[in-house]
Amino acid sequence: MMAETHPHDIELFEYVEDELPQARRDEIAAHLATCGLCAEQVRQAAAGREALRETTLLELPEGRREEILRNLPQPERSPGERRGFFSKQLLAGIAALLVVAALAAVLVKTGGNSSMESSAGGTGGGAAEATATSGGGVEDARTAELFASGPAEDVADDLQRKGFKATVQKDRVVVHGATKAQVREALADRGLGDVEVVVKNP
Amino acid sequence: MEDPDAPLVERAQRGDRWAFEQLVERHQNRLFTLAARTLGSVDEAADAVQEAFIRAWLGLPRFRGGSLFSTWLYRIGINAAHDQRLKRRTEPLDETREPADPRDSFHASELSSALQDALNQLDEDYRVAVVLYDVLGRSYAEIAELTEVAEGTVKSRIFRGRSRLAEILGTRTAEE
Repeated sequence: MMAETHPHDIELFEYVEDELPQARRDEIAAHLATCGLCAEQVRQAAAGREALRETTLLELPEGRREEILRNLPQPERSPGERRGFFSKQLLAGIAALLVVAALAAVLVKTGGNSSMESSAGGTGGGAAEATATSGGGVEDARTAELFASGPAEDVADDLQRKGFKATVQKDRVVVHGATKAQVREALADRGLGDVEVVVKNP
Repeated sequence: MEDPDAPLVERAQRGDRWAFEQLVERHQNRLFTLAARTLGSVDEAADAVQEAFIRAWLGLPRFRGGSLFSTWLYRIGINAAHDQRLKRRTEPLDETREPADPRDSFHASELSSALQDALNQLDEDYRVAVVLYDVLGRSYAEIAELTEVAEGTVKSRIFRGRSRLAEILGTRTAEE
């Protein structure tokens, strides 16, 4: 006759590992005495454990360690330095100050109120120019980084399916036209990983 | 829990390559074992280990010590091995090539080829769980963190993985 409800895998595992309280262990043992199916599973799990535990650590092949150390790239920044919001803010602030200084110099040179309007209008143009000339400083202020479990192609596919403009560039996923919060929410189910996701918000 | 790697990690985070080399030395064989047992190929495993250490080196500034360094590193290693497996699947040349014989790959190790053949036939989740627990001796909690599942799921995977492994080995023995 088939025994009562079969114990869950977890309990059978704990039985094999001898992690159950004695009372429950006795109940499982009684079940195993009458249930060939569970008894066979336990027997196999114990046999599998023995086979696995006979194995030893493998050694990294000769020369590979040296190859790893030789190929360690220079970090993109000195380790320990935060690739952070504040440094980018600082860069953006310096860029903005340079623009203001340049505009002030132009105003001094041209003089007169008539030029104020065009200068004020030109602030935007100046900023745009600063973006182009000072490059990363201003642009970086609009970027953000996230990390997700990879591979990068999967992360990009995932984001594309969710309507983001995502591409893989040098093992990083670059997302345009979205906010960090939007991308973070879209990647929430992937969990934290080592694929760098760069969000560029226009 | 005190992380035995913490002093070296802190130095490596400040750019100390020597400290990172000590971390490589300390973890290289375990990481290689994990990759080799889950990939079934020495060459692919060595590539995965190299990739993992490079990712770890570049990612160290972002490691905040929320877990053991080894847990963080294993996670990177599992991802790198997973990427290797995907690469194998997506490279057309690999499909036309004869699959590497694990018996050749592991001839110098003490691992029986029958066991590696059986491991290769397990689902990836089961394979990773049994290798981490039975071969590398990691705790349920750590495996749960590494694989992002509950501890109960870890136990279930180990149980099923072991059972399936023994079943495959038994069938193989019966055939021989």
